Amino acid sequence: MLDIGAFRTRTCGGFSRRSFLQLASSLPLALALPAGATRAAQPIKAKSVIFVFLWGAPSHLDTCDPKPDAPAEYRGPFGVIPTRTPGVFFSELLPRIASRSDRFSLVRTHVTTAPGHPDAGTVALTGFAESPLPVQPNFGSIVARARGDQGGLPPFFSIARGVVMDGGRRIEGYGGGTLSHAYDPFLVGCSESGGVEFPALELLEGLNPLRIQDRRRLSTQLDSAMHRVEQDGQRMWTRKVQSAYDLLLNPAARQAFDLTRESDATRSRYGYTTFGQSSLLARRLVEAGVPYVQLNYSRHVEALNPGFEFGWDTHIYNFELLQDQLCPILDRAFTALLDDLYDRRLINDTLVVMMGEFGRTPKISFRAARDHWPGCYFSIWAGGGVEPGRVIGASDKRGEHPRDEPISPLMVGTTIAHLAGLDTQARAEMNVLSGGKVIDALL
Amino acid sequence: MRCCSRFSLTIVCALLIAVTAARAAELEQLTRDGRLKFTPVFRNGGKELVFVELVSPTLYQIRRLVLADGSNEPLHANAPTSEFEPAWSADGACYAFLKTRSALSVSIVIRDKQGVDLGEILPAEGFCGYRSPALAPDHSRVAFSFAEKGTQQIYSAQLNGQDRQRLTEPRGISNWPSYSPEGKSIVFGSSQDGNFEIYRMNANGTDVRRLTDSPFQDIRPRFSPDGNSIAFTSYRDGNAEIYVMQADGSTPRRVTKSSERDDYADWHPGGKRLVIVSERQGKHDLYLVNVPR
Repeated sequence: MLDIGAFRTRTCGGFSRRSFLQLASSLPLALALPAGATRAAQPIKAKSVIFVFLWGAPSHLDTCDPKPDAPAEYRGPFGVIPTRTPGVFFSELLPRIASRSDRFSLVRTHVTTAPGHPDAGTVALTGFAESPLPVQPNFGSIVARARGDQGGLPPFFSIARGVVMDGGRRIEGYGGGTLSHAYDPFLVGCSESGGVEFPALELLEGLNPLRIQDRRRLSTQLDSAMHRVEQDGQRMWTRKVQSAYDLLLNPAARQAFDLTRESDATRSRYGYTTFGQSSLLARRLVEAGVPYVQLNYSRHVEALNPGFEFGWDTHIYNFELLQDQLCPILDRAFTALLDDLYDRRLINDTLVVMMGEFGRTPKISFRAARDHWPGCYFSIWAGGGVEPGRVIGASDKRGEHPRDEPISPLMVGTTIAHLAGLDTQARAEMNVLSGGKVIDALL
Repeated sequence: MRCCSRFSLTIVCALLIAVTAARAAELEQLTRDGRLKFTPVFRNGGKELVFVELVSPTLYQIRRLVLADGSNEPLHANAPTSEFEPAWSADGACYAFLKTRSALSVSIVIRDKQGVDLGEILPAEGFCGYRSPALAPDHSRVAFSFAEKGTQQIYSAQLNGQDRQRLTEPRGISNWPSYSPEGKSIVFGSSQDGNFEIYRMNANGTDVRRLTDSPFQDIRPRFSPDGNSIAFTSYRDGNAEIYVMQADGSTPRRVTKSSERDDYADWHPGGKRLVIVSERQGKHDLYLVNVPR
């Protein structure tokens, strides 16, 4: 179930420099770094982090912060259901997650500074805007720098069919930022049937790592691939190739990627959808010791755009897409992930954070949907040192603004780093998350 | 002894009823690939099904399943963008579907049974699209759902998009129109009174009557071939299940019972069975289910 298929380039003239750099930047250079390049400076409550990124931004009113008493032009068409947390209701679209609310805490007072996807995506993943440069590191890159190589696996994975994008634009906060590309995530895609793909390694046509037994054969194929790229990329290729060897030939890595090792019962709990099986892959990576996994719901934000995956950006068809596809898939997969982490006693050492880059307009739009809304949104936190069953703050009666202290993406990243063992001094030495505060109410 | 006999008889009767009920809800699986599927509809006298499948992470494709041999292929083999929500006229003479033209821009395309375009209702500039086309039995008009000014309402128009008429009041989200067999009525779902309920109206939008009353979603109604019943999806028992009620909204009966999702019912032309999309063990496939008497 581990496939590396044919590489496709849009230039039609062979392998483009951009394609090659995508390949190079996805390879796990961090594997070659010494373990624990920067040591964490306090007890590690979250040995692993799964950051569930609902890219495109879900409507908070139609999911985890409904407003049934708001005027009709705000509240939307869905009913509400009680959760296990007294006084807290969710949309009827998320019955399974609602029934697990005693296993997580809910933050309802997020705000961000950017109203558009590219910048808000970077803010959500780094805590800072794309400009002024330089771009700050992804929260996962910070944890990766602190932990280094873990058992031969890259310390930071991003699960998607490539770098997260808005239309044709890459989100600058996807990777290592000021910490260097060495701490970019290792990209891995997962299909609805559980087939695992390395998007940028598709350069190696027909190569199936699960069947690789001969290191020399792999070397020959890699050398052949190298000769097909432009000269100016070869130096980077050479630096990365040893890491590719390590990953593709590492039994632990191959085992972690192989979802067929799971029972049918386990796989079906997650659902045979791209996000469902990706969630299972995230759990396997955590089980294998990976410190940080960014589990993306989709690679693209667009809800319905030719050539792009179906994300949470529901400028039209908000209610239909939520009820038909987005919420049912999320409800099943996220609940399975939580239950699985509990059942395997991984939850105490694994922090799970689920959120988008902003919310959506509380007032229903001209096209009877919901647009971008940076003024208020939600997150869910479980395990890894977070006290479950808490509700942090509340939004106002229409879900437009926090009624209590606003919580920024920088605070999210600081809290993740704190639970992953990076105290103020460690963060300062790394020169990251400057000015960030921990969300104490979660701890 | 007599008491014991009566007790045994009662148990046997109860078991018979239970077995009968279970048989009524038995599912006949039609597809096995497990991919996400939506909105199946019968055509060609019930010999074929047309449905929508997420065939890749970026593409909805309309597919045709021949029940006799199980062959399953794209309806439009070379469609480069997502196509979804197919609808056939009762006589099979023409069909409609939604086509993604560009980012968040979706039109209604209407074709005859040979595949010749009869019309395309284009979206407005910017993010805009239609939902749930339904062809009148005489295929003189197409009903659909369209959003503007903060609400989403049922409209009907000629097949070329001319003579567009709004049929529902501009309140809430109205969707999923379905014509009665003789074309005089339309049943639809709407949140005009708060949450999604099923309503019925004359085909010109008059005499609107609410048929359901549940605090949870009642959606996707479909008239039976004889017009006497309506199948729909309801969340009233905790998750999406298929129900059937009389055309006046009375005597709702639950058709499916699963902890997983059952949705998108369409009537077989014989009127005794429904095709639905069911999620079972995390996989989404087409099933046939008997309608309980």
